[in-house]
Amino acid sequence: MKEVIAIVRMNRMNQTKKALVEAGITSMTAKEVLGRGKGIVDFSLLKGAEKGFEEAITQLGDSSRLIPKRMISIVVPDGLVEKVVSTLIRVNRTGKSGDGRIFVLQAKESIRIRTGERGEAVLDEV
Amino acid sequence: MHLIKAIVRPERTDRILSDLMEAGFPAVTKFSVVGRGKQRGIKIGDITYDELQKDLLFTVVKDTDCEYVIRTIMKAARSGDKGAFGDGKIFVTPVVEAYTISSGIKESPDGGMEEVQV
Repeated sequence: MKEVIAIVRMNRMNQTKKALVEAGITSMTAKEVLGRGKGIVDFSLLKGAEKGFEEAITQLGDSSRLIPKRMISIVVPDGLVEKVVSTLIRVNRTGKSGDGRIFVLQAKESIRIRTGERGEAVLDEV
Repeated sequence: MHLIKAIVRPERTDRILSDLMEAGFPAVTKFSVVGRGKQRGIKIGDITYDELQKDLLFTVVKDTDCEYVIRTIMKAARSGDKGAFGDGKIFVTPVVEAYTISSGIKESPDGGMEEVQV
């Protein structure tokens, strides 16, 4: 069992949800978060963006100010990890920095609260 | 690779973020949470506040940097010299794989990198 945590662009959420359902992964949890990546802010860009230069505005995508993102958390059986990851990458990739990151963590146990069932029976099926 | 989850005082977040930036770890995700600790919240008079506002910082680092990042966060998040109740907690979880969406590069804990075809 693995937990897949993905941090993606907010405006890609609808496509992501749709693609995940089509891939057979129905259960997910999402949260609004703020974040920054490896980019370091260049103040001349900020000035340029204030003056309205297109180039500066597009490049600000990788600045170091905290940028609103969505964090998706999905717990899946080991066999589904690859499918989830490739779906997420396919839908969210624009090729520019700021597309986000995906982390795969080991999950120890999953329990359905309603019935008390444990293990992989609780999760989406392969 | 390890995922470091730090629950800290919201008023300390700015300092932690700038310290991490200086230390060379710019990549962080944060969101606000509410929670209580071992002290069962704060009791002021007859009222107990057990949903205290905190910020959760979320960063993934290499095994070799893990200790250093934890120390950086701890130093910046601690109030005063000795610290105080409510300064927060840091949890560390191993990460099995990490992907960068824009390039499709997959990183493994052993340092291996490969591009994923989609």
